[in-house]
Formats: sequence, structure tokens, C-alpha cells
Amino acid sequence: MIISTTENIPGHNVKKFFGVVSGSTVRAKHIGRDIMAGLKNLIGGELKGYTELLQESRDDALARMVQEAESLGANAVVNVRFSTSSIAQGAAELFAYGTAVQVD
Amino acid sequence: MDPALEALIQLGAPLALLALAFFTGRRAERRHYQSIRARERELCMLPAVTFRQIPSSWGVDGVGLVTGSVVISVDHFKRFLAGLRTLVGGRIKSYETLLDRARREAVLRCKEQARARGYHAVVNLRLETTRIAGKSRKGNATAGVEVLAFGTGLELRRDPR
Amino acid sequence: MEYDGRLPAEGINTSDEHPLREFALLVGGLVGAAVACIAIAALAIDRLVPLLPPALEARWFGGWLAPDAEAESDPRTASLQTLLDRLARHWSDHPYAFRVAVLDDAEPNAIALPGGGILVTTGLLAQVANENELALVLGHELGHYHGRDHLRGLGRGLATQLVLGALSGGGGEVVAGLAATAGQLAQRGFDRSQESRADAFGLALVHAEYGHVAGAGDFFTRLAESRATGATGRLAGYLATHPLHADRVTALHAEAAARGWASEGPLTPLAIPTPSK
Repeated sequence: MIISTTENIPGHNVKKFFGVVSGSTVRAKHIGRDIMAGLKNLIGGELKGYTELLQESRDDALARMVQEAESLGANAVVNVRFSTSSIAQGAAELFAYGTAVQVD
Repeated sequence: MDPALEALIQLGAPLALLALAFFTGRRAERRHYQSIRARERELCMLPAVTFRQIPSSWGVDGVGLVTGSVVISVDHFKRFLAGLRTLVGGRIKSYETLLDRARREAVLRCKEQARARGYHAVVNLRLETTRIAGKSRKGNATAGVEVLAFGTGLELRRDPR
Repeated sequence: MEYDGRLPAEGINTSDEHPLREFALLVGGLVGAAVACIAIAALAIDRLVPLLPPALEARWFGGWLAPDAEAESDPRTASLQTLLDRLARHWSDHPYAFRVAVLDDAEPNAIALPGGGILVTTGLLAQVANENELALVLGHELGHYHGRDHLRGLGRGLATQLVLGALSGGGGEVVAGLAATAGQLAQRGFDRSQESRADAFGLALVHAEYGHVAGAGDFFTRLAESRATGATGRLAGYLATHPLHADRVTALHAEAAARGWASEGPLTPLAIPTPSK
């Protein structure tokens, strides 16, 4: 499955296009990370716990998007975009969407 | 007051509220999904895509902005489950159905508006999700979620199919 | 480029798990964790508390029941203080300077404060029929000091608040409510063995002062008769901090019989004057 943020995939022709496919996860951090983040608020620096958490969520969301595309019979997803929004106190939704296409 | 009765009320009242929210929320969700699936089948012939470049074979007669948005409220049961999840961490499954519904509904409304205006396709579709905060003692409760779907509607000389 | 309008598969972005299953798992897990944390904290407090020397305790908490002019002029305080001093004399090596004060409250109760202050409510004074009964109540409070129970209670209360505060910070109001109820339920069971030990200590002091234990348990018998018994009574008994009054009387009689103390003897009338209104 080719994933691309461009409209056209260089070297391929789009034969067929489907609709929008998307993948999203809503993840909460646990109370341990909360406390570490609170401490880091004092001393500064990268919140490694959060970075990992959001990276995992992004991979998860992408995987779901690819799953939707596969269920349509597509072999590429173009014009992929990401969106992060805060859904609840301490939880964020990671959302990836693009158009499923069939390339040759 | 009798401490046994007091304990019963202290536990029973929130549980009753949760049970009520659970059943009504499930019913609302199921009905909404039925409506969504029916309308998706109906509107599946109107393409909504995220890319910008229009194939040269399409003759474009008209363009315009089309939008669709929906605000869906979080019921008490879902909020309670999410609150528990923020302690232990992990996927908040109760909110996932909420967001799925909201997204699909927004895209459907966008397509409906496009069809009503005579457009045959929607390109450069974008989705924006926002949390609507509600009033609570701490002031950070989630009252609902808004999803906005917007794109450019195209009126074509020829049907893209 | 052709368009294919088929729809993607359902259920990729949602989960099949029944929400009630998740609910049961999360609630059960969290309540269990809260109870476990509180139990561990309580055990730790129980170990650490006897290490606080009474002199230090008197210094830190002595101000909680400072003698004040109004209490000094109350005639009830003086006679209560005399009775208390007579009983405390039988606990030869006690490190406290006990003081007693009267609290205006219709509910019969007696409270042992850290530092050596004892509060007795007007409701209690109205209910006791003779000095022997009052002596057992005061002796019971002295028994709490003997076991450093009041400090354990304070420490346990603090530990519970800390654990619940940490949990409820993340979860919202309903979670906080559930956690509070769990905390209260966890706390109930610990207090009652301390109460039984305080009862036994009080009975020993009464025996040392009067030479017999007549009348000491009558107060509880009266209270037991005035409260409801039966199913709700039993449940209320579990949830209350003191054992059911009927159980206490039985325990007191058993203790007296085991020590071979006389249950008959002259009852001293109450010497507490009623205050002029």
C-alpha cells in the first residue's frame, strides 16, 4: 500500500479512485505520564512519554486508514493529511485521512 | 440518617444515572448509524475526494464551497468511561464511535449540500474536529464534539462515472 | 480515471467490545486498586504511629483543647475533670495531661483528641444514669490513648485523602464519588478491634476505681434498645465505626467474667450538676 501526501504518485498512473478513507484513534495517557508531565512542567525538556504515546497513536490511525483502503480494493492512498484534536481532558484524537486510489 | 440507606443512595443514584445514559445513548447511536448507512448508500455516487487536481477530462461548469457540520453530544456514560480511561490509559473506545458517527455525518451533509446545489463532485475535502467544552465544576468537561467537512463542489458537464 | 463509489468496510474505526464489559473491568479494577492502596497505607500508618513519643504528641496537638475561660467556669467541666483524674490515676505511667470539655450536641458521643483532650457531648450526659456508666465511657476514651488509636485514625484519614485525591484528580466527579465510597467502606473494618480493646481497658479502670463493674454496661444496653435491630440494624452496625451496642454489652460481660470481676456492687449517683440556663 503506497501512502503519499502528494496528489499524484510519481511514476504511477491512477486508474480508479474511490472516496475518502480515514483512520482515527482516541487515546488517553495514564496517570503515571500525567505526573511525569507535571514534573517536566517545572524543569522543561521533551516529554518523551507523550511523544511515544502520540507516535503510537499516529501509527495506529494510519494502519486503520490503510485497512479501510484495502477493504475497498485500493493499492494507494493519496493526499494524506493528519489532524490532532483534544477530545477530553487528558485525551487526544489522532486522525489521518486521504483518498483511496488504484494505481497501475 | 441510617448509614446503610445513605450508602445505598450515594452509590445508587450515580449508577442509576449511568444506566439511564447507557441505554438512551445506545439507542440514539444505533438509530443514527442506521440513518448514516442508508444515506451513504444513497450518496455513494457523488465522489468526495481530498485531492485538488481535477482530471483534464472533466469539464467544469461551476465551482463553489460546500460544507457540512454536525455537533454530537457526549452522553454521561461515555464521559464516565473516558474519565476512568484517563487514569489507566489506553484507547477510549467509547469516544471512537462518537467521532466515527460525527465524521460520517459531516461528510454526508457536505455531499447533501453539494447535491442540493447541483454539484457532481466534491474535491479538496478537509475535515476539522473540535471539542465543545461544557459547564462543570472544573470547567473542562466535554459537552460535545463538532466535525466540519468542507470542500469545493464542482458542476461537471459530464458525470464522472 | 474512473470513480468507484463503493463503501469501505464497517467497524475499522470503532470497537466491537460491549461498553458494559469495559465499564465492569475499569470500575472493578479501580475500586480494587483504591481499596488495596488504602489498606497498604493504613498498615504502614499502624506500624509507624506507635513510634511517635507521647511527649511530642502532647507538644504538637496540645493546643487542640486549650483551657479556655468559658469552659473553666462551667461546673460540669470541673466534676468531669475530677472523675477523669480519678480514673487516670489507675493508669500509673500515662504521659498525658488529660483535659475534658463539654460539647453541646444532642447525639451521645465522646471523642478522644490527639494531645490529651476529651470531648463529651451534652447528649451523653443526659443519657447516663449513674457515675459508673460515665466512668466506663471516660475509661473507654482513656483506652484509646493507651492504644494510640486517635493518632492511627488521624494518620489513616490522611492516607485515604491522599490516595483518593490522586485518583479523583484524573477521573471526574462521579469517579471521585465512587472512590470516596470505596474508601469509607475500606476504613470501617479497621476501627472495631480498637474499640473492643478500648472497652476492655475502660472496664479495667472502672474495676480499679470502684472494685466492681456493676452498671458499667447498662448505658450500652439502653442505647441498644433504643436503636433498631434486625436486618437494617445489622447492616448499620457493619457500617458504623463502633460495634453494635448489644455486641459491646456481651463483650463487656464476657470480659468481666473472664477476669473474675464482681458484677454487683453499689452504684454511685451522678455528681454532675446541670448548668443553670
